[in-house]
Amino acid sequence: MSQVLTEVLFIQEGESVPPQDLHRVVAYAAWHSLAWLVFANAVGVLLALMLIFPAVNGWLGEWTYGRWMPVHMNLQLYGWCSLPLVAFLFKAYGADRGAAARWSRPALWVWSAALAVGSISWLTGHASGKLFLDWTGYARVLFPLALLFLWAVLGMATVRGWRSQHFATWPARITKIAGLALLLLIPLLLYVASNPALYPPINPDTGGPTGASQLESVLVIIAVLLLLPYGLTKSKNGSMRTGALAWGVFVAEALLCMALGRGDISHHRPTQYISLGSLLVWLPLTPAYYSTFVWHENTRRWRVAFLCWWCILVPTGWCLFLPGVLDHFKFTDGLVAHSLLAMAGFVSSLLIFVLVQLLGEDGWIFNQRLSFYAWNASVFAYVLVMLYAGWREGNDAAFSLVPGLVRNVIYTTRLLLGVVILAASVEWLKDATRLLRANKQAAQGTGQSTAREVVG
Amino acid sequence: MPKSKPLARWSGGRGVGLIAITYVYFLIFAQFAFLKRLGALGIEETHLKPVMAAMAVGGILMSLAAPRWSGIPAPGLRLRIALLGCAGAAFLSLLPLTLFTSMAVALLIGCSLGLLTVTLVTHLRLWLGEGDLLLKVGMGTGLGYLICNVPVFFASAAGVQAMVAGGLCLAGLLCTREVAGRQWVEEVPTARVTSSWSFWRVLICFTALVWLDSAAFFIIQNSPSLKAGTWQGTAHLWVNASLHLTAALGSAWLLRRRGLAWVLPLAYIALAAACLLLLRVDGVVLASVFYPMGVSLYSVALVAYPSLLAPGSVEQRGRQAGWIYAVAGWAGSALGIGMGQHLGVVPPAFVVAAGLLFVVPGSLAFISRRRLEIAVTIAILLLSFGVDKLLDSRRVVQASDSAVERGRAVYVHEGCIHCHSQYVRPHTRDELMWGPVQTVAEVRRGAPPLIGNRRQGPDLSEVGSRRSALWLRAHFENPAEVSHASFMPSYSSLFQDRRGDDLVAYVQNLHANDQTSHAAHAREEEAWHLNPAERAGAIGGAQEGDDSSQGHQLFQDNCVTCHEANGSTRQRWAGSFRRVPPDLAKETLMHVNPASSSEEQVNQFAHIIKFGIAETDMPGHEYMSDRDISALSRWLMQQRHYPPTQPNRSTGESQ
Repeated sequence: MSQVLTEVLFIQEGESVPPQDLHRVVAYAAWHSLAWLVFANAVGVLLALMLIFPAVNGWLGEWTYGRWMPVHMNLQLYGWCSLPLVAFLFKAYGADRGAAARWSRPALWVWSAALAVGSISWLTGHASGKLFLDWTGYARVLFPLALLFLWAVLGMATVRGWRSQHFATWPARITKIAGLALLLLIPLLLYVASNPALYPPINPDTGGPTGASQLESVLVIIAVLLLLPYGLTKSKNGSMRTGALAWGVFVAEALLCMALGRGDISHHRPTQYISLGSLLVWLPLTPAYYSTFVWHENTRRWRVAFLCWWCILVPTGWCLFLPGVLDHFKFTDGLVAHSLLAMAGFVSSLLIFVLVQLLGEDGWIFNQRLSFYAWNASVFAYVLVMLYAGWREGNDAAFSLVPGLVRNVIYTTRLLLGVVILAASVEWLKDATRLLRANKQAAQGTGQSTAREVVG
Repeated sequence: MPKSKPLARWSGGRGVGLIAITYVYFLIFAQFAFLKRLGALGIEETHLKPVMAAMAVGGILMSLAAPRWSGIPAPGLRLRIALLGCAGAAFLSLLPLTLFTSMAVALLIGCSLGLLTVTLVTHLRLWLGEGDLLLKVGMGTGLGYLICNVPVFFASAAGVQAMVAGGLCLAGLLCTREVAGRQWVEEVPTARVTSSWSFWRVLICFTALVWLDSAAFFIIQNSPSLKAGTWQGTAHLWVNASLHLTAALGSAWLLRRRGLAWVLPLAYIALAAACLLLLRVDGVVLASVFYPMGVSLYSVALVAYPSLLAPGSVEQRGRQAGWIYAVAGWAGSALGIGMGQHLGVVPPAFVVAAGLLFVVPGSLAFISRRRLEIAVTIAILLLSFGVDKLLDSRRVVQASDSAVERGRAVYVHEGCIHCHSQYVRPHTRDELMWGPVQTVAEVRRGAPPLIGNRRQGPDLSEVGSRRSALWLRAHFENPAEVSHASFMPSYSSLFQDRRGDDLVAYVQNLHANDQTSHAAHAREEEAWHLNPAERAGAIGGAQEGDDSSQGHQLFQDNCVTCHEANGSTRQRWAGSFRRVPPDLAKETLMHVNPASSSEEQVNQFAHIIKFGIAETDMPGHEYMSDRDISALSRWLMQQRHYPPTQPNRSTGESQ
């Protein structure tokens, strides 16, 4: 199966793309992603500040904490976490080169415009009350249409590239068409899922998601993890067994998930936490699976980082779901810590790894030593500090409700760590801007020089 | 690039000196001391205008003529003539002038300055030597402004200032020898820093900046209150001097890295901020920071652009310099002063219009480069608008629109869900604090359920049964006033329209309708007691009157706002309480039986503190610790046993 997928999606070497055009669309997508990351991180710092100095709310009129929160969360999710995957799709469908590349930039613009409209809508008090599905009114129509336009660009790239190397075989064509069909569902699903009348299963003992829901979400991430390499690189020779094993386990877990059903079931039920515990198998399997592919040397740092975060995320996530533990940490900073571990730790390093692989030599923009360590160390420290806060809060709700010295020290530490995280993202955005400028200069010049040479 | 010799790097002192002298002469003499001198001679108001007009005419004419005048081709000689003219005019101003002779001196000032500025910037490379030329320009400009702001000099008499300015011009003659005969290494990245700015765009932007600068200067200079807040007093002047020098050096650094595209907009932002801040009395202090920064930022560019950054030959740069100083310098300055004289303020609309000069050209260039992206984005935005309207027209309009439903929408829109949960977890501490528990089916009735995922504040699913409408209103208006140390933002703005009342109605409505679960919860509350150690401490302390500072502090933090006559909540909402909160030390308490034992009284106090009193405005303090409840109960008991008229046994003082 892995061989087929490699054949289907792998971008052939030696393709006739001018060197200055090779990464331009991807670099542009990376820039958009980073711009939203920086903005969302800046909002995060503002939110952390508001919890220490509530007077800041007063300075911003009606734009108080509650209105900034959806801006922060949704921009992280739909901006930073989504646009690198858009870059991946551009590459996988060949929309980063040739005539289709011309339409890829407008697709990114429309996406960013939808996020900007969404941000304005949340700040002006338009929200649906559904966390992470806060699209309502005009923005609820605009964002799916932005996705639809992206889909149209990918479709156009598919049609134009029908006879190219990427679509040389029928399996390749069928897989990509199937992928397009699935992608077409996303705008519709997003619109429907934003409906306030729909709500996922509820764990009656916590009010949060059930074990089955969590398993389902993680399996979606695992599916992405399993698919990503096929659009990014090629597999090593003789690596069939690990790939087959990974896909086999995935199918088994998907079946298990379906068997669990979608009822409102408590995490105290052994079926729930034992099923979720089945994810632990991915601790050894994910690194083993990724080691069967050939990666650009620039990705090493972030590949190690995302696999490390994964190895922390999966067991801690499971532990936090266990009876007694979840009862202690639910609604506390402990779960905020784990969210950050997931998003800023694992997902961010995975996305940067993907971008570096897509950018190849231009991936240097993410490889500054200082920003790498500043980001990862700050996220780790943040997780520890907030986990401690969550532990205290689980013992005594007043710990965070009535600010005291320890709570204030913790929140100030969080604020400072947030500033460091923001600074690291600013560094990447700055370098991405330099890369775009260099790409432009390279394109205006002879085309012989690469962006790296122009930047020097 | 050949490496500069260390001494050659510092060879541009002459250029730095000439720039500084020119600025000092223009700022302290032509713009300042000469006007003071005319005032002393009785040449004011209407008589002043022809004198200033003569100066402007001289400046404009000579700025335009100097680059085209081939009579004296040697730049050094031209500069010497200009400096002598400037010095002569300064010394002549010390004489007892009439209106006519004043006009003649003003004309001489204008002509000499026109010749001096245009000649200096056209051939500045001759005197700047080697090394970082932009830094030297920044240094010269910064020093010029710094000297003008040295308190002794700034506050001296007009005659002294004229003599110093004239003397400096004579000293400047020593700097006019050209640093020639060598192959100087230029370190000015001209192509990069000026590539996107045409000469006419630069000219228009400089004109706008000088206009804003002159208007702000005139307004400050002619209104004593503004003057006192900006450049009166030694400290103010030293701060101004430092700001000027820092901004000038910063401008040079920015010019080198980013060119005019950053420096001029930044100068505009600073000057615009200063002009807008001057509209408010409380904005003067901030204006006094922004103004010098803006002035120095663009002043460096005003020298650096025609001398170092503008593309073209020496002749072309000379002509451009002439236009810049004639139009932006002299005409812009006159227009700014005119605005200050006639309007007394810089109108915000003018500030915005000036800003457009900086934004529009760049925006147009950007739009022309990104036509496809912009067209597609606009098309999708319009299409979405159409689809949204279409869906809206087909949507079934909800007939019911109660205050509770509207309030729920306010709750959602304000993002209350990000701090407050609406889910009491069964078999946890939640139940006692915020119960009773609702079933999942009840929770699902909301569309969507507002369970939330993080508590920065208490759970609200049953808040309607724990808090009165008055308490909620007071809390929304000023949370910290009724809830000690609350970091929730104020939502007083919601009460400017009906949103606030709707929100109160919704939150008041947050409680389960199931009477059985409420009864069960009431029993649970009733069964609650302080833990044995704290209860024993409270009873013992109340009887023995031990140290009660913690209880007193808790009372101050949590109770005073309602239970003391001058409590802020009590005063503000005096007419709205169902029953005015009693003085806890003196008045009879309806829910504490004085005939009961100490143990029972402690228990009654503890229950009231923790759960409040139903059907009144008294809230509970559900998450207050047993230790705090014990300390507060103990203190309250002491107050009732040892009323304020008697000395307190624990402190020996009257309470």
